[in-house]
Amino acid sequence: MEAQKWALESPTLGIIFVGGSFIIFYLIGWYSQKAAKSSTDYWTAGRSIGAVTNGLGMASSYMSLATFMGVTALILKLKVPFVYMWIQFALSIPLITLWYGTPLRRMGAFTPAQFVRERYGLRTSYIVVIFMILIMVMYALGQMIGVAKVFEMLFGINYTVALVCGGALIVGYVTIGGMYGTSYNAAFQMILMGIAFIIPLGAIMKAMGGTGWYFPPLLYSDMVPAMLEAVPDFFDMKYGFKWYFSLIPCFTLGAMGLPHLGMRIYTASNLKSARGAMVWFTFFCGIVFCSTYTMGFSGVYFQATSGSGIAPTDFDKITLILNSVYNPAWVLAFVIAGAIAAGLSTISANLMAIGALIAQDIIATIKPDLSDKTMKIIGYGAIGGGGLASILIALNPPTFLVVSILWAFGLAGVTVAPLVILGVWWKQANRYGATVAVLGAGLTYVAVSPYLFPNIVIAGGLPAKVGMSGSLLCVPLCFFLHTTVSMITDRVPALMAKIPHQQDKMLVDRIHGWSEYSEERYNSTGAGLIVAGVSLFICIWALLPGGW
Amino acid sequence: MNSAYKKEIRYTLIFSALLLICGHLGLLFVAFPSLQGHMIFGFPSQYIIPVVMGWLVLMVVVGVQAKLTNALDDEIEALNESTETTQ
Repeated sequence: MEAQKWALESPTLGIIFVGGSFIIFYLIGWYSQKAAKSSTDYWTAGRSIGAVTNGLGMASSYMSLATFMGVTALILKLKVPFVYMWIQFALSIPLITLWYGTPLRRMGAFTPAQFVRERYGLRTSYIVVIFMILIMVMYALGQMIGVAKVFEMLFGINYTVALVCGGALIVGYVTIGGMYGTSYNAAFQMILMGIAFIIPLGAIMKAMGGTGWYFPPLLYSDMVPAMLEAVPDFFDMKYGFKWYFSLIPCFTLGAMGLPHLGMRIYTASNLKSARGAMVWFTFFCGIVFCSTYTMGFSGVYFQATSGSGIAPTDFDKITLILNSVYNPAWVLAFVIAGAIAAGLSTISANLMAIGALIAQDIIATIKPDLSDKTMKIIGYGAIGGGGLASILIALNPPTFLVVSILWAFGLAGVTVAPLVILGVWWKQANRYGATVAVLGAGLTYVAVSPYLFPNIVIAGGLPAKVGMSGSLLCVPLCFFLHTTVSMITDRVPALMAKIPHQQDKMLVDRIHGWSEYSEERYNSTGAGLIVAGVSLFICIWALLPGGW
Repeated sequence: MNSAYKKEIRYTLIFSALLLICGHLGLLFVAFPSLQGHMIFGFPSQYIIPVVMGWLVLMVVVGVQAKLTNALDDEIEALNESTETTQ
């Protein structure tokens, strides 16, 4: 089968739809920015966002261009195992809220790094912030690649020009709007991308002969027999137990470490509203995720039965290709606007996180007496710089846009999640343990990825590229180092005298809502030993060959 | 140690387990291959059960989690107030 090169025949409609949506985004951003009276308002939207808007915003910053493009591309390549990889992403916000979202909201933090600073001190927080910025840049990189690919198809221009123009437009809009604009825009973008994804998908299913076109997320079982005939291995699980288990440390814990997701909880008007937003998040996330699986299913079916081959470099465009084949041009234009909205909402959340990390967690701690106006200017500069860095890296992109995003999840799981989880729930976690753990596990994760030393990866192929095998080793390694070093140093009075450990322990009680300190709460040595033992076992298991 | 603290630990562990079950049911099917291949609602079991658990069942779990943890917050707040009044 000869691969066909796909491009939009008439870009006018697409340009009108995308241009129109950009004008709305800019207006919402500009109007929202006027509401930000201080730099705190700028980063947290005045902590005033309601449950539904916040739920839409949470889902929106999670949906990303990967939902429109990367996911369907990898379903085309990996088939059903990739669906299992995606399902668990809906756990992120509920787990963040359960484990540390509400304590950090109670503490009044901007980012998880602010908690790390208060709990483990400045030195550890700088290390974590550097890892977080790397995570956010890698995450934004995937979105930038997606935006460039959409612009490439829309305007018929080359990838580099599309990347620079699309990237500049997005960075401009995020800088103007701040978190107010990002939150309200994200809610609008979620509605736009939901409609732009699901309704045209129904039309595609109908054109393919599916009778459940009126509810695409779940009603396509009548197409299953034809799929099994065309692609008999579509529903095969293919991989071993280790592959599926590694989804937990890499992506479930990884998502818990992503600063831009946690930030959505801090923008809530109160804790109950944050939890209400979590329920809305699972609803919106579920409906779009399930539709993504249907789109991937339709794409694989189309690829196998239509005779029109799709080049591997065009796998990311499968949603657009299906729309161009089965739907009228104006629908495709609307879908493109939805895809751009998906990319925008995530990049804006990423860039906001980069801005908050640099402005609030680095500059504000080094120079705490800077004026509010200067802090805002630094914030603008940080957002612009983060955007520029991701555009520059995207000039030479990986084959699939979602790969860099997934690798970033793993790094977040290794360097951020264990520190925050243990810091919130275990008083014996101390600064020595945190520093050794984040450096030891973080650098090991980078070292065992195939990008630095291709010969020392834990497992080859995709699990190594997306960080699954690295996370299976390094997330438990971080827990192991943190618990053991903390327990050992806790018993060395000379070392403990150098850090304000009692204050750190009191912080734990305070962020859980207790007004009176109790030494017994969150202070079990047995729990520390269990975590260390289980973590060591998983580390050894990860190093054993086979099982993938 | 008071009951609100124990409840907080219990809720966190139970809901973490429930959430992980909802999102990682694929593990069950790979650990027990005999569960695969049964058709449910027209789909192979190893596909549709994880998909439904990862959306609809997850929504129910998260709804209960929100309700119970909100009530727990109120309980901790009431405890704090009563401690302050006693002092």
